[in-house]
Amino acid sequence: MMIEKIRDLWLHRELLWNMTVKELKVKYKRSVLGFVWSFANPIIMIAVFSLVFAILAKGAKMQWFVVYLMSGLLPWLFFVNSLMQSVGSVVGNPGLVKKVYFPREILPLAAVGANIFHFVLQMSVFFVFLLIIRWHFSIYILLVPLVLLLEVIFTLGLSLFLSAANVYLRDVQHFVEVATMAWFWLTPIVYTMSTFSSVAGKYTPIYLINPMADIVLMWQYIIYNPQRYGPSAVYVSPWGFVGTVIVSVVLLVFGYFFFTRTERGFAEQI
Amino acid sequence: MAYAVEVTDVSKMFKLHHENVKSLKEKVLFFRRRGYEEFWALKDIDVKVEEGDTLGLIGANGSGKTTLLKCITKILYPTKGRITTSGSIAALLELGAGFQADLTGRENVYLNASILGFSRKEVDKKFDDIVAFSELERFIDNHVRNYSSGMYVRLGFAIAINVDPDILIIDEVLAVGDEAFQRKCLERINEIQNAGKTIIFVTHNVEVTQEICNRVIMLDQGNIVKDGAPREVVPFYHKAMEPEEESRERGNLRIMVTGVELLNGEGKPATEFYTGESLKIRVSYLAQEPVEDPVFGFSIDDYRGFTAYGTNTGLKGMNLGTVSGEGVIEFDLKSLPMLEGRYFVNLSIHSRDEQTVYHWLDRHATFEMNSRINDVGLLYIPCEILVNP
Repeated sequence: MMIEKIRDLWLHRELLWNMTVKELKVKYKRSVLGFVWSFANPIIMIAVFSLVFAILAKGAKMQWFVVYLMSGLLPWLFFVNSLMQSVGSVVGNPGLVKKVYFPREILPLAAVGANIFHFVLQMSVFFVFLLIIRWHFSIYILLVPLVLLLEVIFTLGLSLFLSAANVYLRDVQHFVEVATMAWFWLTPIVYTMSTFSSVAGKYTPIYLINPMADIVLMWQYIIYNPQRYGPSAVYVSPWGFVGTVIVSVVLLVFGYFFFTRTERGFAEQI
Repeated sequence: MAYAVEVTDVSKMFKLHHENVKSLKEKVLFFRRRGYEEFWALKDIDVKVEEGDTLGLIGANGSGKTTLLKCITKILYPTKGRITTSGSIAALLELGAGFQADLTGRENVYLNASILGFSRKEVDKKFDDIVAFSELERFIDNHVRNYSSGMYVRLGFAIAINVDPDILIIDEVLAVGDEAFQRKCLERINEIQNAGKTIIFVTHNVEVTQEICNRVIMLDQGNIVKDGAPREVVPFYHKAMEPEEESRERGNLRIMVTGVELLNGEGKPATEFYTGESLKIRVSYLAQEPVEDPVFGFSIDDYRGFTAYGTNTGLKGMNLGTVSGEGVIEFDLKSLPMLEGRYFVNLSIHSRDEQTVYHWLDRHATFEMNSRINDVGLLYIPCEILVNP
């Protein structure tokens, strides 16, 4: 059954592409600046954070805190925006779901796809900024595609599961909003892993069960280059890495399975 | 002959929730209560549609027509039974389903076609046809948001009908658009038929089924009640759709109709007539008191209420003088020109100035027209065809 589903999805790959492009087009359709906003967003964030931390955190240990912050925040925003957008993607399209047949998973997939595009765009802006300030990259920077792939797998699995669950229980949407806020603070983005360890060191293994913590740490590791800019800021736990890979793949399979088991009832439920 | 669609013992049950329990709190609170009733929209439906068939589904509202279409197109899944289809399907359950208001007509053509399952390449080839069909050349690069509902509908139909599916499924959307556009749609459907494609559609306009279907199925409360050629099924449908026999009559009854007979050429009562036969309407009346200068009349309506023909003694320039007691009046129709369908006889007795109605009977008698002539339309008009090579 799963193989049939995947074949069907493959046959509709063009629709997936079109729906992704549609998400992108519609987002900025009636704004004057359009895609400029996607570029402006990270630039403004960098500017604001640089300013704030230059004033507030004078004499902080980290010289390039803004780089550290951005290298974790952008992947996090990709994750959250993907979730928020895909959770409502099925219930938000009753006109399609009730009137036309197509593989329903295209809806959450397109939502994630559009966010991948935005993420790549914003990362590119961030990298341009890094090149301008003559950032010293480590060799690990070449791992960007792999880390991105890992994060996409994790995000997709969760998105598929949540978008299907939301059809049957609309609380899911609201729950995700609240949960991601808490999740944000359970992930080392605005504080460093070393800060956490110094405060609650014995909880570190539990803390690293959170796959997003591991994924964000990987991003920070390959972009921030701790060998040069401060080894204590970032570290990657090998067990956390292995665990996250396993969890992500299992979650994707489970999420897709859950979606295909429930999708037959979608048209009746929304 | 291969089957394009095979529906085998399909039943579909909907849960009618008493209250739409959708939040966690309610789910927990009402955990033990079975908050729904079962509603079977389809009951053991068995249909095999052959390749190249044009099948019309008719039936009252709520009879299950749309549910069946949705099951065939995999939007809904049957509770029991199995449906197999072969070939690509384009379903038009709602015109412009999935149109994005903030995209242009052009962008929507591509998006919509890919929703229907067609590739960019295929659409590229058909794009000009689609635009020409929709007559929206000037507006194709405008946002769909600014389209009128007519334009919306034309574009939606143009896409579905031009992408060349093996099976075309249409739900009650032929009724939109002006007459010229409808005509164009029917012509296009004819082309699709000639190309050997399968068409399944739902309509309330049963006359259309007679025009384009080779098979009609009538559904009622989830059951197939009639399946066959349009000529058999459509009259059956009309009969079923007739409002309850409530003879609408009015008048002061100073003269009243006491009996009506429809007689055929042999002078025998009949309810079925063939085109070209004669029909005699024999009306018995009773005048309670002498009435001066009454007018007797009748008219024949078709099932839609359109009057096919009517006349009365006044229009014929007759003066009946003073009428009293019992009597009989006969309207002798020499030759019925109607082809097929159910007709109703209305009767009236009123004063010459029509100010006083003595007795008026709507749809008092009914008869069925049959025809041995293959021509189409409402009436038979003798026609010779001359060919000058």
